[in-house]
Amino acid sequence: MQFKHVTCPQCGLLCDDLDVSVNDQDVTLNSNSNSVCQQFFIDAKLTDKSALQPQIQGKPCTLDEAVAYAAKLYTEAKQSVISGLIADVQACRSAFALAEKTRGVIDHANGQGMRASTAIMQRYGEVRTTLSETRNRADCIVLFGAEVLSKFPRLRERILKPAETLSGSTARKIIIIDVVANAELAADKEIEFFHLPLPNLETAIQQLQYLASPRASEKAEIEPAIRQIHQDILASNYSVLAWTASLFAKITAEQTLQNLTFFIKETMKIKRCVGLPLGSSRGEITANQVSTWQTGFPLPVAFSTGTPEHNPTIYNADTMLANSEVDLLVWLSTYSPDDTPQQYAKTNIMIAHPNMQCSQTADVFIPVGVPGIDQRGLACRTDAVATLPLHSIRENDLPSADHVLNLIFQAL
Amino acid sequence: MAIKLVGAQVYDPVHQIDGKQMDIGIDQEQICNADTLAPDCESIDISDCIVMAGAIDLHTHIGGGKVNIARTMMIEDHQAHSHHGDHQCRSGSGHAVPSTFTAGYRYAEMGYTAGFEPAVLPVNARQAHLEMADTPMIDKGGYVLLGNDDFLLQMMRDGASQSAINDYVAWVLNASQCIGIKVVNAGGVHAFKFNQRRLDLDEVSTASGVTPRQIVNVLSRAVYELGVTHPLHVHASNLGVPGNFETTIATMGAAEGVPIHLTHIQFHSYGTEGDMKFSSAACEIAEAINKNKNVTADVGQIMFGQTVTTSGDTMMQYYGHEHGNPKKWTVMDIECEMGCGVVPFRYRDKSFVNALQWSIGLEIFLQVNDPWRVFLTTDHPNGAPFTSYPHLIKLLMNRSFRNDHFSNLSPEAQRMSNLPSMDREYSLYEIAIMTRAAPAKILGLADQGHLAAGATANITVYRKQDDIEQMFARPAYVFKNGKMIVKDGQIIETVKGVTHVVKPDYDKSIEKSLRTYFDKFQTISLDNFKISNDEMEECIGSQVVEHPCKKP
Repeated sequence: MQFKHVTCPQCGLLCDDLDVSVNDQDVTLNSNSNSVCQQFFIDAKLTDKSALQPQIQGKPCTLDEAVAYAAKLYTEAKQSVISGLIADVQACRSAFALAEKTRGVIDHANGQGMRASTAIMQRYGEVRTTLSETRNRADCIVLFGAEVLSKFPRLRERILKPAETLSGSTARKIIIIDVVANAELAADKEIEFFHLPLPNLETAIQQLQYLASPRASEKAEIEPAIRQIHQDILASNYSVLAWTASLFAKITAEQTLQNLTFFIKETMKIKRCVGLPLGSSRGEITANQVSTWQTGFPLPVAFSTGTPEHNPTIYNADTMLANSEVDLLVWLSTYSPDDTPQQYAKTNIMIAHPNMQCSQTADVFIPVGVPGIDQRGLACRTDAVATLPLHSIRENDLPSADHVLNLIFQAL
Repeated sequence: MAIKLVGAQVYDPVHQIDGKQMDIGIDQEQICNADTLAPDCESIDISDCIVMAGAIDLHTHIGGGKVNIARTMMIEDHQAHSHHGDHQCRSGSGHAVPSTFTAGYRYAEMGYTAGFEPAVLPVNARQAHLEMADTPMIDKGGYVLLGNDDFLLQMMRDGASQSAINDYVAWVLNASQCIGIKVVNAGGVHAFKFNQRRLDLDEVSTASGVTPRQIVNVLSRAVYELGVTHPLHVHASNLGVPGNFETTIATMGAAEGVPIHLTHIQFHSYGTEGDMKFSSAACEIAEAINKNKNVTADVGQIMFGQTVTTSGDTMMQYYGHEHGNPKKWTVMDIECEMGCGVVPFRYRDKSFVNALQWSIGLEIFLQVNDPWRVFLTTDHPNGAPFTSYPHLIKLLMNRSFRNDHFSNLSPEAQRMSNLPSMDREYSLYEIAIMTRAAPAKILGLADQGHLAAGATANITVYRKQDDIEQMFARPAYVFKNGKMIVKDGQIIETVKGVTHVVKPDYDKSIEKSLRTYFDKFQTISLDNFKISNDEMEECIGSQVVEHPCKKP
């Protein structure tokens, strides 16, 4: 069977122009040869039929038995956490219902990576743009870190250098700043690559922010390249600053994003300048959007007192697991077999990709259909504006994560 | 399930019933003739109550990306207002911009049975519907945004025919599962992307080559010619700018006689009189509404306190962001379609401007003669959270209460308003018009907003009280599709509600040029852009109810 307009959740771009063929349980991406894009479809291949069966402590069981045992573990747990949350909207909705019912904590696998961006939105607000707006409108795009390109394999083809734009022109400055050398980009005629003699990207961003700051004294030691980039931004009509927060040191990420936000807002006083945060390669935006509309708070959320609470210091899932503050982990991870827990609790329930192999045998392992392959679903793109449909293109008996979470909810 | 509501004092303006004592019958999901019910059916004595149809909020920002941004930015508001769930209800948080479950509960507790999200971006429609599907208790619907999208502006620049524009408008309504079309600062949001900071109604945008007037004209005509019941829903140009009333009145003219709805008109009714160069133009606006029978408006009343403004109007949100409180703001350009801006506001009665805004809203309410053409809204949450409606109703119904509040305003503002001289007091019948009968009529919800046999049994029963605010805040009973969902102001059963849509016919060949546009310029494919009924029910989680279009 051939399918067109298939959506790929392998990265936050959620490209939906893919041709995919399905032969029994094999899924092949035909329209793009990029290895990163291929991975989602390669990972989904089901070779071992036993992977379709749930397990209790490594032993095959029925779905009913697995659900009943999961419910039993829940009733025995003092404090539970649902983490991972690498899933479609519907599964996230059900995960929140379960977390609320069990007075648990809920967080994303990359929760810590999301905190800085959330904090900046909470404290200052931002100036942002979206993928199509960048594709058509930008005449100057500045990327912080060459690695952005490899994290988002089709960014260049689809957003940075499209064949056509609404403006009628495809001429634009594409600037990439990095602090490590990159011979390929340095030789690239379409890109202005700046290898800066600075310790890190954060310093480059700090210097750029100094240039927009009214405090002239701070402008003393600024790299000439940064000054040039600033001039390029001021000379353009619609400049886009794009970044991936995961390339910034976690401990200073908030300061770095604050610098970017201040720079953009200051520049906005005279020119159009916007930010394009790139992320959500593990469904972070989907999980965070559901959290925000259902509870009123971004992740993480704790229901320990019965009301939703947002306190990223206290309710950080990774820290809670590391400190043994939770005794039950429910790991929800449906896109990739590699998204396994980094830490485990005393008891562990996996609602997971059918090919997932964990380093520790789960108390309950329930393989579920992959959204976009086995299940219909919805996912939110990196710009938090477009929500795309994930299609069901393969038939098998795998239940959806949403269904499994609902069964556990009902069993409690 | 059959229920007889016995001895109610009924207000049903659709059938000119003004406080008549009568029985109301409920049979399953519908209202029936009470005399046809079996004698032994459940009956509730409500002889100490008044009865109206379930209330309908014509304009309330309850779903979509901008609302989630507002929720994120209003962290303190959410922390201060979180609540438990119980065996019926989910937990939630937020007063100014509540979480979805919370919004549904608060609406039902006030006797509302439907609310319409007025700013659905086509590309964000799925998320808006997802959020609305997670807003229980009430029916929902959306107005999809056009008029700043490159596709329409390109069509206009290329001289496309009105019928081709109609086809595009109909296609967007079908694709986005909405019930109406809204335009926000026509062409201005697009121009802002090109660093244009203001755009007047008759100014040619250097970015698009068309004027806002032309956009309002073709869209209002498209909506009319397609037979969509709800007129073009217009957020006019120059929101918040002193002197903007002239733009607002001119915008009425842009429709050239076809129906047009001007939204949150309070924010567009400002003059430039006085020392502060800011004054009320409510009289001029009300006069224009009274004169132009094709015009309807909702007020967008402000109330004092903390709230947050969420709007598609990036141009004017940026213009006003320095007045925000607390000092944080977001502006976003979106997908060659639209934008959004989020700015928290704290309206203060001692602020000259805020106090006058409060007065202007009430002056409009009191000077528009026909309650069928003026709607009770606060542009939730932009003027105030929707939970302030009972207070607003009391301000309209009780002159001394209104004047007491007026006397607390900034003295400078008091000097600039003739509100105390207005002795009009809205009647219960008029409140029933503006919160039930008229919204149902203007949305084309034939089975709602009234209490005749055959109507959907959305019914609100208020226990008579001297304090009208308390009465409207806490109904004795609320019935949604025949089920009692609220008793004594408390939720006793949760329901989901449906999504009301229109699906006007159109020439399918418009998809050819749209497909080219999507393939060349967009980052989502046309096939994935469209939301099917099946997807609405299976993935988004809301049943679609289609309402007919009646071509003129």
